[in-house]
Amino acid sequence: MRWSVARDHDMVRAIVGHILRKRTGMRACVAGFLAITAIAGATGLARADRRASAGAPADGEWPMPAGDASATRYSPLAQIDVANAPRLRPVWSFSTGVLGGHEGQPLVVGDTMYVVTPWPNVLYAFDLSRPGYPLKWKFRPDVSRAAIGAACCDVVNRGAVYADGKIIYNLLDGHTIAVDAATGRPVWETKIASVADGQTVTMAPFVIGDRVIVGASGGEFGIYGWIKGLDLATGRVVWTGHNLGPDAGMLIRPGQFHPPYVSGAELGVRSWARGTWKHGGAPVWGWISYDPKRDLLYYGTGNAGPYDAEQRAGDNRWASSVLARRPENGALIWAYQFTPHDSWDYDATGAMILANLTIGGKRVPALVHFDKNGFAYTLDRSTGRVLVAQPFTDVTWAKSIDLATGRPVVNPAMQTGDTKGDVKGICPSLEGGVSPASPPAYSPRTHLFYTSTNNFCMDYTVHRIAYIKGTPYMGVSSPYTAGPGGHLGAFIAWDATTGRVVWKDPEPYPSWSGALVTAGDVAFYGTLDGWFKAVDARTGKLLYRFKVGSGVVGAPIAFRGPDGRQYLAIYAGIGGDWALLAGDTLSDDPTDLRAPNPLLENLASRTSQGGMVWIFGL
Amino acid sequence: MRPRRTQSGRSSGSRWAVPALLVLAVAGSRGATPAHAPVIAAPGVANPAHIAAGGLPPPGPVVRNPYRGESAIARAGGKLFVSMHCSDCHGDAAAGAVGPNLGDGRWRYGATDAAVFRSIYFGRPRGMPAFGGVLGAQGVWVLVTYLRSLPPPADQPTERFSRH
Ligand code: HEC
Repeated sequence: MRWSVARDHDMVRAIVGHILRKRTGMRACVAGFLAITAIAGATGLARADRRASAGAPADGEWPMPAGDASATRYSPLAQIDVANAPRLRPVWSFSTGVLGGHEGQPLVVGDTMYVVTPWPNVLYAFDLSRPGYPLKWKFRPDVSRAAIGAACCDVVNRGAVYADGKIIYNLLDGHTIAVDAATGRPVWETKIASVADGQTVTMAPFVIGDRVIVGASGGEFGIYGWIKGLDLATGRVVWTGHNLGPDAGMLIRPGQFHPPYVSGAELGVRSWARGTWKHGGAPVWGWISYDPKRDLLYYGTGNAGPYDAEQRAGDNRWASSVLARRPENGALIWAYQFTPHDSWDYDATGAMILANLTIGGKRVPALVHFDKNGFAYTLDRSTGRVLVAQPFTDVTWAKSIDLATGRPVVNPAMQTGDTKGDVKGICPSLEGGVSPASPPAYSPRTHLFYTSTNNFCMDYTVHRIAYIKGTPYMGVSSPYTAGPGGHLGAFIAWDATTGRVVWKDPEPYPSWSGALVTAGDVAFYGTLDGWFKAVDARTGKLLYRFKVGSGVVGAPIAFRGPDGRQYLAIYAGIGGDWALLAGDTLSDDPTDLRAPNPLLENLASRTSQGGMVWIFGL
Repeated sequence: MRPRRTQSGRSSGSRWAVPALLVLAVAGSRGATPAHAPVIAAPGVANPAHIAAGGLPPPGPVVRNPYRGESAIARAGGKLFVSMHCSDCHGDAAAGAVGPNLGDGRWRYGATDAAVFRSIYFGRPRGMPAFGGVLGAQGVWVLVTYLRSLPPPADQPTERFSRH
């Protein structure tokens, strides 16, 4: 018996040895091929760099998540306009081979389009100058599977950024990676976050000068939230600024931090009972913008943890807030909290859009933010003071925002906590009046903001919970109920100077896509049931729609192709929170059957998972 | 560059020590003190759905659920499922969220108490944390008993869309 086993092993070893020899031969071939592609790619790099050094992004490119540093998602391209948009047609599509929720957007730099997939975070580079847009290269990072369980809400990725000849993006398992834009070879990789501590990375990095700005998700895992500035050339972590906790950790320098409405030292400690800031959350999983004139970067922080607000008495600064920092060294300059003592999971990670608006006859440097809490805020981006704050969807948790104090006037009946039992009828739900994953757009031509919105509410029960490293720090049950009006979502145009809805296109399902608006005065978005739509930016009138195969949770972009024509690109691929909430749209695992969500009846009859990239043109 | 990831942290010598010990721990919790020194042995068939090369399933001691079918234990397991944050990943009543539905009568890693035990005790690669360290074998068996008591809903494989 023993002997026969030994003999079998010898045989197996012989076979393995044979195969290995063959494989090594193959390796040599592959290496030769890569060297050739690298040389071919180098010419492409030179081209891309010339473009980049010309200064501001060329008007036909889309080199960063929101198209520009002000996060406007506005394209100055006007070939496609209200008159010809009805003649749009799909000109190309590509399956990413990945099933997770395709949030975020492609980039276009020079004649290349770059696409990052959800986990396992494949990066594709398409050659737009050749028929059929074949791949120049694809890059497959070694990203841990363990991160899948630590990602609260599907294994999404919100995109890459182009700078200095590199495509830079985040891996779910806590790494930032820079890849040579021409060759697809990794240039540097930095571990920024720890999955074992509940940190995953889903946001799109942002580049300002030679700083790469990154943050981590984990508001559901009791992280001590932070944002980091890396060195663009090497990936080295230059600074780490926490969003809560002691002043020193938050990079508050003496005399530099001036939040409107509050003052005093150690606000990030004193506003949390008994050191609860240590696992207080305040993650960074949304979007970043930058004002070069003020040299301030702006970003929002996520919810406070755990979900039982009674376990963390106090305002819980600076969770659910917007923070303004210096990109060079991370110094915190001001912060404003949208939802003090967050008791409803109202992350403030949605985009901070920078626009100069005329309010009451005065020109103001504004920052406009649509919050999960249902209010849209127009702030003075120099100071953080609130100028306008009005609900853009049904809101029950607060009556209004007091402009004198900056605080919401909370409806006491909607206060949640472990002693409050089941609190019913809270609007918006914890999915938000708008999801931070659905970034809005702003047109300097119409002076309007365009955004997806949600119209549903929740009942909320929390229980006391202990912190167990590596597991969620939540403790909530929150079934959803439809909002008024018979539609669960809408795409709206918003006047941020007065705080009112200008027009509204109701959608049967929650609206989860980002927005795009162009100089052709056309606004674009996608729907959860899989329609890509073009609407008149001034009226909301539907101009064109096409069924893209899976629900849309990504954001459209516009670009000019090497042929000089304007195109639009958008991802299809339902997921994000809907991978959890509409589990019957999943079909790839026979051992995981999910009942339909009563809120989204029949959504699975309209769509199922599947990642696609689409390009539309005339 | 990122250092190469190690595929397996354990050396082959210590590999089977933990399962063997936990079998003893479970036996101990039932009042039976083992008479002999622990035998270091591989656990038995890990997943009966796996195809056995040569038709020979890997041999070894079979791990048994000491609480099988005990409804009071299953109820306690339901509470543990919430307090250990299982429900925060697997949803209310284990109906599926970040982690798979555990009440649909279908099992990614095998439809046996032992396979479910292993999932919870040692974790699984796509983000299922290992709870053996915080819960011990006894706690894990309580959870297994709860999960295996969940009655799968009747007509799951077909989802019909009535209101088009
Ligand atoms: C951090 C999120 C998370 C937590 C907390 C968690 N799980 Fe899981 N669980 C997962 C994921 C993700 C998988 C799928 C893993 C895989 O396939 O590799 C899984 C898989 C499982 C499986 C295997 C299912 C099958 O079909 O074979 C069982 C059993 C299980 N979990 C039970 C539990 C129990 C009991 C707890 C609490 C003690 C728990 N889980 C806590 C995320 C979690």
